[in-house]
Amino acid sequence: MNTHNSTTPRPPTGPHPRPQPIFELAHAGVTFTSRKGKDVIAVEDMNLTVNSEEIVSLVGPSGCGKSTVLRVLAGLQPLTSGDVWIGGGTRKPGFAEVAIVFQKPTLLPWLTVRQNIFYPVRALRRRPDRTLNERCDELLDIVGLSEMADRMPHELSGGMQQRASIARSLILDPKILLMDEPFGALDALTREDLQLDLLDLHARTRKTILLVTHSINEAVLLSDRVAVMSARPGRLQNLIEIDIPRPRGPDCIADPDFQKYAAHIRTDIFGPRYRKEAHA
Amino acid sequence: MSSPTPFPPVLRRILLPLGTFCAFLLIWQWASNAFDVPVYLLPSPIDIWIGGVKLGPVLWTHTLETLRTILIGFACACAVGIPLGVLVAVNRTVSEAVYPLIVFLNAIPIIAIAPILVVIFGTDMTTRLIIVTLTCFFPIMVATASGIMETPAEMLDLSKVAGASRLTEIFSVRLPYAIPFIFSGLRIGVTVAVIGAVVAEFVNADKGLGYLVTSATAQFAIPTATACVVVLALLSVALYEAVNWTHKLFFNWSVRHDDKP
Ligand SMILES: Nc1ncnc2c1ncn2[C@@H]1O[C@H](COP(=O)(O)OP(=O)(O)OP(=O)(O)O)[C@@H](O)[C@H]1O
Ligand SMILES: [Mg+2]
Repeated sequence: MNTHNSTTPRPPTGPHPRPQPIFELAHAGVTFTSRKGKDVIAVEDMNLTVNSEEIVSLVGPSGCGKSTVLRVLAGLQPLTSGDVWIGGGTRKPGFAEVAIVFQKPTLLPWLTVRQNIFYPVRALRRRPDRTLNERCDELLDIVGLSEMADRMPHELSGGMQQRASIARSLILDPKILLMDEPFGALDALTREDLQLDLLDLHARTRKTILLVTHSINEAVLLSDRVAVMSARPGRLQNLIEIDIPRPRGPDCIADPDFQKYAAHIRTDIFGPRYRKEAHA
Repeated sequence: MSSPTPFPPVLRRILLPLGTFCAFLLIWQWASNAFDVPVYLLPSPIDIWIGGVKLGPVLWTHTLETLRTILIGFACACAVGIPLGVLVAVNRTVSEAVYPLIVFLNAIPIIAIAPILVVIFGTDMTTRLIIVTLTCFFPIMVATASGIMETPAEMLDLSKVAGASRLTEIFSVRLPYAIPFIFSGLRIGVTVAVIGAVVAEFVNADKGLGYLVTSATAQFAIPTATACVVVLALLSVALYEAVNWTHKLFFNWSVRHDDKP
């Protein structure tokens, strides 16, 4: 059934490694049935292939089904039509291959930061062994929370909490990181800071990241490709390759290419509405 | 904020209510003397004090007896109420099957059923424990169930993505989340347990403060009876504070926010 067999050895990481699909949505659809029996088509005929080590952003108007797509990939939401493939197998909830970062940090208030980071380990009733302890220390270091490891979540600022939740998502070394507006609830400065941290993290860990965002600049800055979704029904409208060389930094925004991409995405999202208004 | 505080806040929190209380006692004493209220109508604080002192150590043995009934009954109510609350909240079948019965049991006026229980179970400790448990398990169960059910969807998603089993989800997310809810149930439960114990001792006992109240009133020893009532009230406050204290001692993370002034 799997068209993308990943048994072939991974090519050496050169400047342009051969893209290797890590997950794929094929004609994926999700329909919610409300209590009154009225159906809401959240996602329809969605096709998206994301390659290993890639950062792909999902942008689109509110309610177009971005979160739903992420929840499908995280195993929180079954598809009502079509297929989803992850890492060569069909996604089953409850394994370490996929991790998700929510908009809210969702730290458990009764656990310390370190215990929160270990939550996915505990959820699988595994004991934190030495490798896991080392990884936890390393992650605390990456997200800059080494000093806060034994604090309670309420002692952390919003940005720190979100960093902790990113560390938590990485504790079991998932291949895929799903992020649903991870910086959406943060102030603009913290947000910029965390964006650069995420670029750094990606450079160090080479995770595949699918990121939902409402910020077009964020999408262009972080992504290899930006998937633009259209609303009602939610489906993939356009897929834009962002050809800005890595490593990227804050000065990228000044790049004329950057502005060109951002403008392109903006027309993709708002274009239909502008036309509608022109008719009215 | 800007109000002048002559005392440090901790002292203030103790002194202020204590002052009010003393003033209340003084006014009461003054009113009793001034209007010459007969002792059998309303004993003055000094009468009550004398009535209590007259009882001497007997008062304490009876208090301990009542305390024992309350604590064992309360413990039974926790042992039944908390697991049942969890079960009712996580399992729809259990909820639909059991809930109506529980609501029905709770609707029975405990004072009305107490004499019947005496006939069925006799006049020993068992009956008193059943009455105390029946009075206080309902708030404990309902509070537990609402905490379990109100666990935020994001936390449940988190445990689901992590691959937690249903049981792990309950123990690692839902139950800890329900802790502050459970404690508010326990706070209500423990005060209601005092009432339950007194009712139980009214209808069947040869020991306990409830018994002391009935036997003293039968002999028109109103100050003595009132002294017992005062001890009961103090007991109730002490138990309430003990629950609070346990909450703060073991689950401090969950008291922090509502502790702020
Ligand atoms: N559990 C649900 N039951 C019914 N309808 C739902 C449910 N979840 C989402 N929907 C509907 O599906 C559609 C897509 O929702 P989704 O949350 O995926 O949008 P989104 O793109 O993430 O929006 P936003 O950008 O505002 O977060 C919406 O119209 C929403 O009303
Ligand atoms: Mg969303």
